[in-house]
Amino acid sequence: MFALGDLNLTYLVSITAVSLYVSTAAVALSAALGLPISLAVGFRDFYGKSVVTSVISTGMGFPSVVVGLVVLLALSRSGPLGTFELLFTPEAMILSQTILALPVLVSVSLSAVQSVPQDLRDAAFAAGGTSTDVALLVVREARYGIVTALLAAYGRAISEVGSVLIVGGNIVFSDSTSFTRTLTTAITVEARKGNIETGIALGAILLALVLGVNALGARFRDRTPGRNGRGR
Amino acid sequence: MTTERPGADEPDSGEPDETTAPDPASNGARRSKTRLAARGLGHGFGDGTVLEDISLAVEPGEILAVVGPSGTGKTTLFRLLAMFERPDEGTVEVGGDDVWGLPEARRLAVRRRVGMAFQTRSLFSTTVEENVSYGLRVRRSWSARVRDAVEGLFGREEPSETVEDALRTVGMFDKVGRDAGSLSAGEAQRVAIARALAPDPDVLLLDEPTSNLDPRNTAAIESAMRAARDRGIAVALATHDMQQARRVSDRTAVILGGTCIESGPTDEVFESPDDDRVRQFVEGKLVY
Amino acid sequence: MAIERRRFLQAAGVGAILGLSGCTGDANPPQANNETAGGSEGSQSASGATQELTLATTTSTYDTGLLDALNPVFEEKFNARVKTISQGTGAAIETARNGDADVILVHARGAEDEFLQEGYGVNRRDVMFNDFVVVGPADDPAGISGMESAADAFATIADAEATFVSRGDDSGTNKKELLIWEAADVEPSGTWYREIGKGMGDTLVQADQSGAYTLADRGTFLATQDNIDLEIQVQGPLKGGPTILKNPYGVIPVNPAMYPDVNYSLAMAYAGFLTSPEGQEIISNYTANGSQLFFPNALSEDPQFGQYVPENYDGGENASSSASVSDAQFESWVAQHVPQDF
Repeated sequence: MFALGDLNLTYLVSITAVSLYVSTAAVALSAALGLPISLAVGFRDFYGKSVVTSVISTGMGFPSVVVGLVVLLALSRSGPLGTFELLFTPEAMILSQTILALPVLVSVSLSAVQSVPQDLRDAAFAAGGTSTDVALLVVREARYGIVTALLAAYGRAISEVGSVLIVGGNIVFSDSTSFTRTLTTAITVEARKGNIETGIALGAILLALVLGVNALGARFRDRTPGRNGRGR
Repeated sequence: MTTERPGADEPDSGEPDETTAPDPASNGARRSKTRLAARGLGHGFGDGTVLEDISLAVEPGEILAVVGPSGTGKTTLFRLLAMFERPDEGTVEVGGDDVWGLPEARRLAVRRRVGMAFQTRSLFSTTVEENVSYGLRVRRSWSARVRDAVEGLFGREEPSETVEDALRTVGMFDKVGRDAGSLSAGEAQRVAIARALAPDPDVLLLDEPTSNLDPRNTAAIESAMRAARDRGIAVALATHDMQQARRVSDRTAVILGGTCIESGPTDEVFESPDDDRVRQFVEGKLVY
Repeated sequence: MAIERRRFLQAAGVGAILGLSGCTGDANPPQANNETAGGSEGSQSASGATQELTLATTTSTYDTGLLDALNPVFEEKFNARVKTISQGTGAAIETARNGDADVILVHARGAEDEFLQEGYGVNRRDVMFNDFVVVGPADDPAGISGMESAADAFATIADAEATFVSRGDDSGTNKKELLIWEAADVEPSGTWYREIGKGMGDTLVQADQSGAYTLADRGTFLATQDNIDLEIQVQGPLKGGPTILKNPYGVIPVNPAMYPDVNYSLAMAYAGFLTSPEGQEIISNYTANGSQLFFPNALSEDPQFGQYVPENYDGGENASSSASVSDAQFESWVAQHVPQDF
């Protein structure tokens, strides 16, 4: 890491921690909101369903900077939610990343959920399952696709720079600990200063992080359903 | 270990009669079975299938065959009997209660006295054991289910006797730890029937359970039906296979064109049908 | 445009903002005032919780590392934590205009004056200055090297249609650049003129890569010099160049009457610190690549009234009768602050 010579360890660790915290919280929130949405949209027929699904897929391509600006306007002291004083905090970043990750998560998990055969839902119902049980079974059956959805949402969140820069403010305290600076916004600072190599080195850390998260997800996803070692 | 009954290793697992007599029939003895009846059922579907004024009943300890050519509405009828949806007309009654007149919580309880297996492959992507225990698990309290899930992370308990007995009934006990995806179609269907049997239902609905299966699996499923009948379960079997209906059923109802045109003891229906179309049908001719 | 949006925001607000604004007339000073009112600096740092100051500033003060030298000293002295948001000057002022910063440190006098005139900022102080330089490729394709007028240099670049990279981000540097084009009487257009909407460092790198000219503040140019091959073609006033390339920085606390939740007292403390002998010395001693980047100008034995008010401010439309202005002002104070039943 030759190019990181002028960045101290505290700084690196804390911007990485902020990246992880904000993205993980955003993906968790998106999952809590998005999975029920996928299940509801996936299995119910209602008027305007195709409109809803195209709105969701459009949301996947929504420019993060625009989301950042909207969240900025909402959270600003002069905006409607100004009294909560959330602007330039990690929570503001979580909010904007949730908005960005949600359509990705819903879109990918929706197709996973819809690919679970009707027969299996019938079987769960016939076995005495309530609608909650059936929904849980669908999530379980679609786990491969849902983990993929979580990973896609995580990828969108952690690599995102436009909105977190705007609503987070890219703040680092003078003791080198990050408040709202992430790996991505740290890269913009290095780029701004012309320190291309340092920026790329930070990018490598980000890449390693995304790789790690994906490896973890893949491990979970590919765990055999039979939980090997059943000696019968 | 593989052949022994695990009851011997688990002295503190439940009531004494379970450890000494693992046959679910003895479990079933604690509550008398009830009948399932349809009265004047009528139902229309988007795809044009229509049922009209169907009345039939399946009593505890009998096998009722519902026969008729494919596409005549047997599956629709069975879905109504399993309470998948509310019929447009008529009632479905379990033990004398009109199920759609009950509040939702009671309807769930009634619904849980009816088990069902389907024509198509319907096993969940997990082990045979977890498939069979599914009905038992959804009947438990949420706190118990969460506790089980957490404990499941730290190693597994042996399958419960109920699950083992259900699997023995369909002759699949040796496959308890297998991944459901690795089973053949016939084996999967037998496990699906075990899944329906495990919660010890009053009524077992089987919708074309042996279509496209080889003789060996068919025989295993038919023997499971008889075993279920022998422990007092009311078994309803939808089939287009007249020979099968004749082989296993006590009574037969013939559905043609969306309505029930004849019903009675199987021998009578086959030996001396009242309806001319039924005669042609049992003689193996195409009937519309 | 910006004003329309603010109206929309205020209209969309849940009323809390308006409600709070309404309170500023009565006897509830912001909480922070109470804390600082009684104590000296020493008692502040000894007592109580750390206060936070949100500073919206330009990239040049941050990226050069100057704030890393200044802020820890301030934080230590005032038991404070500075949250620095480094943006272009235009964005920094906009942030403060929305009430989302406590104090700004920026370098675009025109925009600062507008900020003051609209009432969003109070108590502006000059802090420091340096200058801008026109930089370009070493082979100087337009032939502007050594020109004594920045406007002439820009006009020459335009005539030669030599590639020019513009920040295009409403930053202080961008504003200065547009000022020079205006002075040169050129409206830059064509493929040779590229607005890129990036920070100073990116802009220098991009100009370097595309063999282009650009306008840079001397501080960032010196700090970035190692990474690029661009050379100074027209010097700023620090080295005998034209005065139009001057680059003064000002600090302005946000008006607490506009946004009662801003930490006004700490913002004033920050302005006080930057303009104190100690702050000025830190600025003076700060170097990059062996060169001093910023020149403090807050300390002066002679009065410098110009720093407090918009440039060319003449006391308002009624300046000729200043007595009547102050009378009217006093009457409005009475109307606003003295209860009806006094």
